[in-house]
Amino acid sequence: MGNDKKKIEVALQEWEEKVLYPRVKRFNLQESPTRFYTPLSIKHGNFLEKVGFPGQYPFTAGNQPFDFWQAYASEAARMGYRPDWGGGQVGKYGGFGTAADYRDYLKRMHSMGRKGGPNIAFDLPTQCGYDSDSPYAEGEVGRVGVAIDSFRDFQIIYEAYTGELDIDKVPSNFTINAPAAVIIAMYAALAKQRGIPLDKLRGTPQNDILKEFIARGTYIFPPRPSMRLFRDTCVFCTQYLRALNINSIGGYHMREAGASRIQDLAFSLANGIAYIQAGLEGGLAIDSFAPKFTFNAFGGSMEIYKEIALQRAARRMWARILKERFGAKDARSMLIRQPITAHIGCSSTTLQRPLNNLVRAVIGGMAAGMSGGIPGAFPPFDEPLGLGHSQEAVQLQLDATRIMIYETKVADVCDPWAGSYFMESLTDATEEEALAELEKIEKMGGAVAAIENGFMHRAVAKSAYERQKQIESKQEFVVGVNSFTGPNEIEVMINRVVEDTYDPELLRMAEERQKANLAQLKRERNDQAVKESLQTLKMSAQDEKENLMPSICACVEALATLQEICDVLREVFGEAQPVKL
Amino acid sequence: MAEPWERMIAAVKDGDVRALAKLITYVENREAGWKDAMKVVYPLAGTSTVFGITGSPGAGKSTLTNAIARRLCDQGFSIGIIAVDPSSPFSGGALLGDRIRMRDISVDSRIFIRSMATRGVLGGLCQAARDVARILDASGKDVVIIETVGVGQDEIEVVRASEFVMLICFPGQGDSIQAIKAGTMEIADLFVVNKADREGADEMVEEIEAMLTLSGQEGVQTPQVMKTSSVTKEGLDDLVTFLRAFMQTKKRRDRERGLVREEILSLMEHEVSRMVRERLTQDGRLEHAIERILAQEVDPYTAVEEMLQKFSIPTPGL
Amino acid sequence: MNQERKIRVLIAKPGLDGHERGAHVVAFGLRDEGFEVIYTGLRQTPGQIVNAAIQEDVQVIGLSILSGAHLSLTQKVMDGLKTQHANDILVIVGGVIPEGDIAALKGMGVAAVFTAGTPIKDIAAYIRTYVPNCSA
Repeated sequence: MGNDKKKIEVALQEWEEKVLYPRVKRFNLQESPTRFYTPLSIKHGNFLEKVGFPGQYPFTAGNQPFDFWQAYASEAARMGYRPDWGGGQVGKYGGFGTAADYRDYLKRMHSMGRKGGPNIAFDLPTQCGYDSDSPYAEGEVGRVGVAIDSFRDFQIIYEAYTGELDIDKVPSNFTINAPAAVIIAMYAALAKQRGIPLDKLRGTPQNDILKEFIARGTYIFPPRPSMRLFRDTCVFCTQYLRALNINSIGGYHMREAGASRIQDLAFSLANGIAYIQAGLEGGLAIDSFAPKFTFNAFGGSMEIYKEIALQRAARRMWARILKERFGAKDARSMLIRQPITAHIGCSSTTLQRPLNNLVRAVIGGMAAGMSGGIPGAFPPFDEPLGLGHSQEAVQLQLDATRIMIYETKVADVCDPWAGSYFMESLTDATEEEALAELEKIEKMGGAVAAIENGFMHRAVAKSAYERQKQIESKQEFVVGVNSFTGPNEIEVMINRVVEDTYDPELLRMAEERQKANLAQLKRERNDQAVKESLQTLKMSAQDEKENLMPSICACVEALATLQEICDVLREVFGEAQPVKL
Repeated sequence: MAEPWERMIAAVKDGDVRALAKLITYVENREAGWKDAMKVVYPLAGTSTVFGITGSPGAGKSTLTNAIARRLCDQGFSIGIIAVDPSSPFSGGALLGDRIRMRDISVDSRIFIRSMATRGVLGGLCQAARDVARILDASGKDVVIIETVGVGQDEIEVVRASEFVMLICFPGQGDSIQAIKAGTMEIADLFVVNKADREGADEMVEEIEAMLTLSGQEGVQTPQVMKTSSVTKEGLDDLVTFLRAFMQTKKRRDRERGLVREEILSLMEHEVSRMVRERLTQDGRLEHAIERILAQEVDPYTAVEEMLQKFSIPTPGL
Repeated sequence: MNQERKIRVLIAKPGLDGHERGAHVVAFGLRDEGFEVIYTGLRQTPGQIVNAAIQEDVQVIGLSILSGAHLSLTQKVMDGLKTQHANDILVIVGGVIPEGDIAALKGMGVAAVFTAGTPIKDIAAYIRTYVPNCSA
């Protein structure tokens, strides 16, 4: 379909004069509330350069022509498949109380047929490198996740994973960042103990410390030593835990903290670049480790056109960075591997009239299906109500996803927006803006420098405030929150059965029990071995060139506690200081 | 019946921290009788050393303040810290965030940290900071540190309330020396190149030393330039030693005179300006003059001359 | 009415919770409402919060907690204020607070709980009503 740009330009002007402006004027508006895109909107580039084919550089159209779930879609429907059955994947994200509490919960799940691998949430003291008996841990032990004070706790959790569910058969996810090295060491130590080859271990440690400084706050050491630790995990995993993903880089948390879409994209890529550089600094060849990088997910919003464009731009940008800047040759190095693509983000859900969140989630699912992902209706509608997702919400979520897959067949076409004048120009614009932001960060010296000077953290805070102001001043409307809240509206609600996930009684006494466990551990272990292992760790830490993983593994196996290990590193590295607003 | 501030001062003498905080608020807010309160406070003060820390945003002033306070406290001194941040010119409010960088000294009972906003009044903050420093002095603090943002003129003013001024810079700061604001170079008693673990630190030290030598006066010792880093801890102990030496000798007798002169003039200016505003507004002379000027009956210069005559202040030769 | 008198508010993040969005938004928002806001940043112990509130002579303490540890942390702050004879300071709490815990918090002496999404103007108006003798 040839397009004579000159002709279209003339026709556009005519249309504006004869059709658009008169209409705008007729309604007494300053400008039209709608836009329309034409071939003129695409400024430069051609299909092969900018879009290409799914599964081929630059991957704009998708990482592959189809995903595994699409290959088995019919089978899944015929057997009434439920994702929580496992099937070689991780199970539901969770964790609470002591290791024994969580293990028992997992065993109960398994008995109900939910055989997914552990997808572990750790409590805040663990995430911040404190033991359960630390004054900082008071009131927080076992609350947002399970408490891990030592290798013994780790082993206890995995008592639920033996036999057909042993760790060479199911993957594990660890949402752990600052002390990720310690948890990875525990995973390796467990494999060693069970006689399982290290290269059979699968799963993903989050291991994305940079976003902690920017948006999530569970950091321990300053940025530079944290990157040294990352480097060491990267090298260790590349050498020994070859099937394990190295990290899960997240724009998601930054967006939820208030970052704009462009900041989400730019900061994620900046962080990714820093991690790549760390791996290279560790002496690794790019294609040996980059394929094991993953992305948690970028953030989302209700503006799905823009979210689809972000996914396309992100894939293209990362691919180009890996290929041109870092010389990657393996296609797998260039992929943005993430469990989900476009979505609405949890912060788009509302407490008011929560059933509307199902509608919102479905819109996000459609966007995902149109941007190379599974059309998941995420999150369940009662997300903002807290206290866990009800069975009803989960059922509705599953069915919505199934409807999008099987009835709408939204994901049956790869990158359906490819070639759209609108979507291509939007993708280009997204890429341009993100590159400009990325350029700013590179000029400062990269992600680490932009974290040390507080730039990224402050930018996110400002964006969060801007958004709040837009909503409070009704420049932006959120249905049921700042608009359509009058007396004629009905607060629709259904009865929910919130599955009793965590026994509140267990949770209440978890801190006390764990402190007793810790005391017992300290009585039973070989103090001399612990001391020696910590001393070796200290010396290794002082030599910037040394890889700390072997010494951390030794500490872990000697039953040094998480805090004891982190305290040694605190001594050598110092502690991260918060930045001013 | 004792004035509210009399009770507060008595409590402060007893070591009551809340009373100290409330007295500071009372004086900062210029509540009724605040000057009388300061007249009582003044003779109780005089034993502290007041340090001023200024420099551009990003120089690491708060972190450095934290490090200095930590060390001085460990060496047995009690500290008062005044951390200044700008007020919003639009709302009059302020976001005071210096405590963020002072977390590890914020539970020590011998360290009192107070955040102050500039409150947008020209010259007003300087006096208020001086008063607050004096109150902290009177409460028994050995050292008072005034830390400012380093943007705008208010901050330079504030630092004039100190006996000893440190100017903090850092490698990579804009166009290094050029970035150091006009005025700050003249008032600094010590230059600190912070973040010395970064590239360019030594060059910056050389640049500053050269600049100081060039602009130096006969017989006057040029201020020293030091390097510090909170990452490597380089120079921090030396800096504190240097400050302690100053505390011992307080060489700046010449400064003392100038500081007192500044204070008198600043208080006078504030008083006179307030008096003038009040009187002119009260009896409507100001409004009347505005009307006449707008009606083009008279120009502003003449209008002012006429009003000045009514104040019984001889018109200067205009 | 003294023109220079400002309402001073301490916004604090007690415990290990690292989610700052709410605290940031409220801190900026109250600044733009004319208050002087002292933001402590993350990882404050109850002792640090009480200390800061007293030294800064704030009329209001705003605690932002999303980790679920709000009951124990708030209790400690209230206890600390009582010990220091400073429980005339208004304490408000925000973050992720289940409906069922609001009564418990109020029982401790918390004046109000503002959950996510509360307009800043409402928080400012509340403070102005309950802080005596101040116009900000």
